[in-house]
Amino acid sequence: MESAIQPNCLECALRFDRVFCDLPANVLAALDHVKSTIVCPRNTVLFREGQAARGVFVLCEGRAKLSVCSESGKRLTLHIAVAGELLGLSAALSGTHHEVTAELLDDGQVAMVKRKELLNFLREHREACLHVVALLSQDLHVAYDCVRSVGLGRSRRPRAVSA
Amino acid sequence: MRRRGIGFAVWRPSNGGSVLSPYGLDIVESCLTCKMRSDRIFCDLPTAALQSFEAIKYATAYPKGAVLFVEGQAPRGIFVLCKGRVKLSICATDGKTLILRIAEPGEVLGLSATVSGKPYELTAETIDPCQVNFVKREDFLRFLKDNSEACFKVAEQLSEKYNNACHEVRSLGLSHSASEKLAKLLLEWSSKNGEAVKQEPRLKLALTHEEIAQMIGTSRETVTRLFADLKKRQIVQAKGSTLVIRNKVALKTMASNG
Repeated sequence: MESAIQPNCLECALRFDRVFCDLPANVLAALDHVKSTIVCPRNTVLFREGQAARGVFVLCEGRAKLSVCSESGKRLTLHIAVAGELLGLSAALSGTHHEVTAELLDDGQVAMVKRKELLNFLREHREACLHVVALLSQDLHVAYDCVRSVGLGRSRRPRAVSA
Repeated sequence: MRRRGIGFAVWRPSNGGSVLSPYGLDIVESCLTCKMRSDRIFCDLPTAALQSFEAIKYATAYPKGAVLFVEGQAPRGIFVLCKGRVKLSICATDGKTLILRIAEPGEVLGLSATVSGKPYELTAETIDPCQVNFVKREDFLRFLKDNSEACFKVAEQLSEKYNNACHEVRSLGLSHSASEKLAKLLLEWSSKNGEAVKQEPRLKLALTHEEIAQMIGTSRETVTRLFADLKKRQIVQAKGSTLVIRNKVALKTMASNG
């Protein structure tokens, strides 16, 4: 079956369903200009925990496992990222080391944007920056759920009822 | 500003009059005249953006122990912490509490919930008298759409919070013992104070044993026992509320081996 993913974001049929990719045509054209598309086999490690952030990876196709590791080698999976998610975003934005390791679980396609180009792109395109803020908020909710799960070993407290 | 009494200070608002400000806080009424803003990620905005922010924010003072928002509550807006510290925690149905972090001035609280529209993930409670600038959700979202620099700074703050959350997961999920977690926490606090380079770093213990236990996911009794053990082995020494790390190497060994 022919993939709906295209090397060119403007021609990608799936972009309307994805939080980050659903951008105006001029912004997508700018993204196309700064990104490199890479086809990766299963088990490819996109970045490792502790590694300096080189850029951000848009997961076009496939799934990726995000995990943290202890010094003794014990590993904990935080999240399984699906197509449309941005990987390595927080480290790329803050200019720190990656806090997690990202490894592809399937054969996939990613679009990589170098850190410097990402920062310029976000400063120049407010819509993209707003999408990034929305994605980071989602990532943070997932991370807090994970903290709750490992720290308290229970599910979320029931919602507060407004008066 | 001249302090008067225990809990109040004289506050001179922009209209020239002076009123009593609560809880002994020197209230900074306008972000435009705040001397601290250049040191703070979110507040260091261009003048035009700050003026827009001024129009939508409500400067409020809270006493110690005030709850800004509760986990599970629908998001009302963001809280920019100007002065004081705030405890951020999550809670299980059985009442067990885990303190994630102590927020410092300059942080924006309730950010991810306000942006996503999902319930607040944490409970935020002041541990000092605090000045907080509150912005309603609708106003804040409009402000972000109109100010790209503010939007970028929000992305930076969210990134930092995400990194902290991952760090917390690693610490809670992959540490072997309570002693390892406590050693890591003490080393982390000493590095934040810029004391890490010193032979015998000092840190101010602003939290109770109960609260420290809630930070590392253990019981108050375990924390008390661990501190007694650290003191007995002369790894740390308590001088009032100040803790001196006497044997940094031993504490680092504990942090890596448990």
